[in-house]
Amino acid sequence: MKPTRRIAVKPAAGAPRERTNRWLNAFTRNGKAWMIVLPSVLLFYFIMWRPIAEGVFLSFFKLENYQAAGFVGFQNYREVLSDTLFLGALKNTFGYVFWSLLISFLPPIIIAVALNEMVHLKGLFKFSIYFPVIVPTVAAALIWYFLYLPGDGGILNMLRHSIGLKNSEWLQNPILTIPLIITSMTWRGCGTSMVLYLAALQGVNQELYEASTIDGAGFFLKLRYITFPHLSPIILLLLVRQIVGIFQVMVEPMTMTGGGPNNASLSLNLQGYNYAFVYFQPERALALNVITFVILLGITVFYFRLDKKLSI
Amino acid sequence: MRAFSEKSSGIITSLDLKKRHVQIGYWCLFALLAVISTICLFPPLWVFMSSFKDLKEFLTVPPTIIPRSFHPEKVIEVWKTLRFATYYRNTIVMAIGELIFCIFVNGLAGYVISRLRPKGASLYYKLVLWTMMLPASISMVPLFKLFIDFPWLHFSMLNTYVPMWLMAGANAFNVMLFKNFFDTIPDSYVEAARIDGCSDLGIFAKIIMPLSVPILIVVAIFSVNFSWEAFFWPYLVIRDKKLDTVAVQLFKMKSSGFSEDKYMIALLFSILPPALVFIFFQKYMIQGITMSGIKG
Repeated sequence: MKPTRRIAVKPAAGAPRERTNRWLNAFTRNGKAWMIVLPSVLLFYFIMWRPIAEGVFLSFFKLENYQAAGFVGFQNYREVLSDTLFLGALKNTFGYVFWSLLISFLPPIIIAVALNEMVHLKGLFKFSIYFPVIVPTVAAALIWYFLYLPGDGGILNMLRHSIGLKNSEWLQNPILTIPLIITSMTWRGCGTSMVLYLAALQGVNQELYEASTIDGAGFFLKLRYITFPHLSPIILLLLVRQIVGIFQVMVEPMTMTGGGPNNASLSLNLQGYNYAFVYFQPERALALNVITFVILLGITVFYFRLDKKLSI
Repeated sequence: MRAFSEKSSGIITSLDLKKRHVQIGYWCLFALLAVISTICLFPPLWVFMSSFKDLKEFLTVPPTIIPRSFHPEKVIEVWKTLRFATYYRNTIVMAIGELIFCIFVNGLAGYVISRLRPKGASLYYKLVLWTMMLPASISMVPLFKLFIDFPWLHFSMLNTYVPMWLMAGANAFNVMLFKNFFDTIPDSYVEAARIDGCSDLGIFAKIIMPLSVPILIVVAIFSVNFSWEAFFWPYLVIRDKKLDTVAVQLFKMKSSGFSEDKYMIALLFSILPPALVFIFFQKYMIQGITMSGIKG
């Protein structure tokens, strides 16, 4: 569908005047189009591109009232890296990614495959499993905060009592806090991935399954040789998205634990937030965010190289 | 009950289902999904049921899951004392602004990239798509700086919803959705309007928009839901309690020590509107996710 809008201009090769006309025409047409897209250009410039460049640039300066006040080289980076909390936050962030791969990665695939098999109550199941997605992030974090309440008043402790176990400290236990936060995030995020996998599953040619059934292939053989190859590109995409997303986790620990107990759930981004808006050291926040940015950029670039190899 | 012979999708074919052990496997999957669905629905249902308990029942140990007391008047009382009407109104004002920016700025960008294609448009589209790949956290401090002191013009956007509106106008994802949808509109419609003397903006308003109702509904639902749950930027930018949105208020309640029973009702207020939207527009929302995810 190419634009065919040159009807008015005669194809006169030799006439300089008409050629200028054509140029002028194209120029005003382009200009008009750019005028329409101007609000978008301005907003993308101010909201997306400029802040990234500015963030990297300002991370090498001391800031006063958010204005650059003197170049300091890598001073901010050195301060961030030598902060006693940095290593802990880095370890926790990788902990979040690790637990999220362990807890959140498989359920949406399994659920989508199972749901795709259903003849009965398919709509109801889909509705229920997607429902947590529409619960606002803060509300979801708070609901789980209440479910995880330690002591006899917590719902989950009550369930533990009913099967004869003692109270758990839940979020207050530094070993459990990250996996529990991830569990609550899985509860909320599972529906989105599930819908994407389900859409991919519906794209599988049904005749393949029928033909292999006649050839005597069982459930797991078909899963391995028909379903899985079909899903693998989207599995990879969602895997990378999950890693990049979880690496930037902030609101959930902020709401549920505030980074505690004893900084056991402090993530890099939450630490960045604390630098910027609690300790009022925005230059440190910038340096820390640039570090995260570089790590994530590495993961994204790696994905694109992998993706290219896969599609060939 | 539906028969297995109607089965038309999935790994297990209707032929397989004639065997006994495959049927058992099928019902195992069914049971698994039933358990997962229960886990998914339990927390919001628990909030819903707990909202009507009185404080005394709330503090009993062990807690009751199915309430013994029923006090609907409490919900209305909390609505009034916590001034939720204000927070609802604020959130709606913020959401409407975001919706307008989202549809017009991103829609016009999609229209120009898809239809008018001026020189440089494809480069612009590429730059826009790249922003989806870049981690957002790096912009936190510079964006805050932008909102408290806009370059050259030096004005502050603190205590307004303008920052959130502007951010809604720079949504690469929606530009992509619009562009992809506009690509499917036949050229002949646009040409016919142009020959009739319609301007570029006229074509957008009179031809493109009416033909794009399905995508408009999807984008609108997502935009409104996104505004409803937006927490971080409203929390940073809005300093005046009278201007707080629902999600921000929910977060602030935690540190101001409200009793748990009131908190449940506040949670209920924050879940109810998106839940209603979901119940009515379920099909569009699930379709929207599918449309977006495969290409992104």
